[in-house]
Amino acid sequence: MKKARKIWLFGLFSFLLIFASACSKDTGSSEKPEKTDEGTKEKVTLSIGSWRTEDTAGYAKVIEAFNKQYPDIKVEFKPSKNTEYNTILNTALQSGEGPDIFHLRPYAPGIALADAGYIEPLDGLEGLDAFPETALAASKGSDGKQYGVPLNMSTTQMFYNKKIFSGLGLEVPKTWDEFIALNEKIKKEGIIPIALGTKEGWLLSAAHGIIGPAHYGGNDFVEKITNGETDFKSAEFVNSIKAMDELKAYFPDNYEGLGMEDIRTLFFTGKAAMFPMGSWEIEVLRKMNPDLELGFFPMPSAVGKDATITAWADGSFAVNANSKHKEEAKKFLQFLTTKEFGELFTKEFKMISANPEVKSDDELVNSLSEAVTKISTPYMMVVYFAGGNPTSKATLELELQGMYLGQQTPEGVAGKVQENAETWFKPFQ
Amino acid sequence: MQTELNTETIKQIKQRKWKRWNIHLFPIPALVIYGLFIVYPLLAALSYSFFDWKGIKRGAFIGFDNYKDLFTLEPFSSMFWKAFSHNVLYFVVQMVVQNGLAFLLAFIIYQKIRGAEFFKIAYFLPRLLSVIVVGFLWKLIFNPNFGALNVLLGKFGLESLQEAWLGNPKTALMAIILVNCWFGLGFSVLIFLAGFQSIPKELIEAARLDGANGLKMLTKILLPLMVPSIMIITVLTFIQSFEAFELVYAMQGSQGEPYRSTDTLAVYFYRLAFGGSSGDSTAIGLGSALAVVLFIFISTFTAILLKMMKKKEIEM
Repeated sequence: MKKARKIWLFGLFSFLLIFASACSKDTGSSEKPEKTDEGTKEKVTLSIGSWRTEDTAGYAKVIEAFNKQYPDIKVEFKPSKNTEYNTILNTALQSGEGPDIFHLRPYAPGIALADAGYIEPLDGLEGLDAFPETALAASKGSDGKQYGVPLNMSTTQMFYNKKIFSGLGLEVPKTWDEFIALNEKIKKEGIIPIALGTKEGWLLSAAHGIIGPAHYGGNDFVEKITNGETDFKSAEFVNSIKAMDELKAYFPDNYEGLGMEDIRTLFFTGKAAMFPMGSWEIEVLRKMNPDLELGFFPMPSAVGKDATITAWADGSFAVNANSKHKEEAKKFLQFLTTKEFGELFTKEFKMISANPEVKSDDELVNSLSEAVTKISTPYMMVVYFAGGNPTSKATLELELQGMYLGQQTPEGVAGKVQENAETWFKPFQ
Repeated sequence: MQTELNTETIKQIKQRKWKRWNIHLFPIPALVIYGLFIVYPLLAALSYSFFDWKGIKRGAFIGFDNYKDLFTLEPFSSMFWKAFSHNVLYFVVQMVVQNGLAFLLAFIIYQKIRGAEFFKIAYFLPRLLSVIVVGFLWKLIFNPNFGALNVLLGKFGLESLQEAWLGNPKTALMAIILVNCWFGLGFSVLIFLAGFQSIPKELIEAARLDGANGLKMLTKILLPLMVPSIMIITVLTFIQSFEAFELVYAMQGSQGEPYRSTDTLAVYFYRLAFGGSSGDSTAIGLGSALAVVLFIFISTFTAILLKMMKKKEIEM
C-alpha cells in the first residue's frame, strides 16, 4: 500500500515537472521577441560574438581604431569558448537573440545559418570587392547573396626543414618526379621523408587537399566537378587517391597509429624532413622549436600544370538579422573590409589576411599570402563538399583511412565519395 | 471533558497524518533534479526523434521516419550494427576477463592471504583516476613509437610483436576494452568480496566438517551463495558496456577511428547528434532516435536481468 502510493506520487511529480518545464519554455520563447525597442539614441552599443577568446586584447585595438572614425558607436567583444561557441550562438539565434555581430564559421555550417534566415545579407557593402572570390565564397548563401566579411585565409602546403634540405644538398622540387626522387633520397639517409600519420581522419583530407590538386589538375578540375561535368570516379580524381597511397612508402614507421601530436613532434625535432600541414601550425612549430628553419613549397604538379598552394577563407563576420542596430553593425563590418583593419589583423593575430593587398611583417607568412594570390587552389572538400550527412569530406577521410589499413582500394575510395556526394550535391543529381 | 479529549485526539490524528504526509515531501528536491536532468531530456529526445531536422532548425513532423532511416538507410544502418557488435564484444570481454579475474582475486583476498588489504587497495586504485586521465595515460603507453608497451617489447627482443596498437583495427578495440577491464576490476573485486564476506560462517564450517575441500567448497558451496553478487555485477557491466563512451572518446575521438573499428553506440550517437570532430553536419532527429532506441534496449534488458535475479534469489 505504502509502496504503491510512493510510486504514484513519483509519477505525479515527474509528470508535473515535465509539464511545467515544457510550458515555461514555450511561453518564454514567444514572449521575448515582442519586447519593444528602447529609444536611447545617444550611444549605440554593439556586441560581437566569437570563438576566439585568445584574441580579446587584439580586438580591443581593432575597436579603438574603429572608434577613431565612429566615436558614437560602442563595441564590445564578447567571445565564448571555442568548443561551445556553436551551441551558444545557435540557441541564442533560435530564441531571437544573440550578439549584433558574430564570427561565422566558413562554408556549410555558416551558410546553413544564412539559409535559415538568421543573418542579414550584406547587399552593396562597400569594400567587399577588395576580396577575391575564393575568400567571399566561404560566407555566400545559397541565394547567392554575401552574408559575411571574410577575415583570414588558411592555407595548406608542404612545410620542410631547411636545415635537412641544405644538409643533403636538396632543392625544392619543381615537378612531381623530382618530389618523389627527393623523398627517395631523404629515406636513404635514414630520415623520415614525410611526417604524416593516418590515425586521425582529418589529417588525411588535409593531406589530400595538398597532394590531390597535383594529380587532378588544380582549379580546372574543381570547376568541372562543381559544374557536374565530371565526378569523383574520374581518372583524374582516382589518380590523386593513388598518389596518396604511393606516398605511404615515405611515411614514418607505424604511421597508422600516429596522430597530430606525434607527427608534429617528428617534424619539429628534425626526425622528419617534410610536414604536409596548415598555416595555423607556423606559430606552434616555432614555439616548440625556435631553432627550426621552417620553409614551405607549393606542391609541384604531376600533370604539367602550375604548382599549387591550397587556400580557403577560414572565418568571417556577419550581422545578426534580429539585431536592433543593423545600420551601425554594417558600419563596423565596412571597417573590417579596409586595409587598415587588415594590417592590424595580420599584425595582432599573425594570420594571412583575406584582403590580398595586406602585407605581413613575417617573411614566411608574407610569401605564403603572395603565393595564395598567384597559385591558390581551393581546399575542395571543405569549400564545396562539406555537405551531406556524413559529409563527403568525412567520407573521404574514413575511406582513405581504410585504404591505408589495406581494407579499401583507391578506386573504392573514389567510389564511396561519389556515392555519398550523389545523395546531396545538386549537380550530381 | 469529553469534547476536550475529542479535540485532543483529533489533533493527534491530524499530527500523525501530517507526519505520514511530510515524509513524502523529502524526496521532492531529488525528484526535481531527477525530473529536470533525466526525465525531461529523455522526453525531449523522444519528441525530437519524431521531427525532420535541418541543421539546428526543427522541420516537419515525420513520425517514425528517423527510426526507419536508422535501421535501413546506408551508411547509418551499417554503422549502427557495427557499433552494436562492438558493444556486445565490450560486454562479453568484460564479463569474462574483468569479472572472471575479479571473482578469483576476491576469493583469494577472502582466504585472508598475507597483504590482502594491500591488494584490495591496489586493484581499486585505477578507479580513483578520471576516465580522461586513464585514456590519456594508456594512449601514451600504446603509442607506437614512444609508448612504453612497444619500448618494453623491443627491450625483450620481441620487435615482431610491436604494433600500432590504437591505429590497427585488429587491436584498437580490444586494447580499449582491456583498459576498461583494468579500470573496472577494483569495483568488481569489492562487490565480490562483500558477497563472500556476507556468507554465514556456520555454513562454511558445516561444509568443511562434511569434508569439502578448496575447489569443492568454491564450486558447490560458495559459488551458489554468490549468485546475488554475480547478478548485480552482470547488470552493472551490461549497462556500462552498452553506454561505453568516455574511454573510447578519450582514446580515439568521436569518429570511431581507425575505420570505425572502435565505434560504440554512444560514440555513434554523439557523432550523429552533435557532429563529429571532423566538422560533420548534425542529425539531431537521427541522434535522438538512436538515444531512444538505446534507452529502450538497455532498460528492457536490465529489467529482464533483474527479474531473473529475483527468481534466483527466491530459489535459494
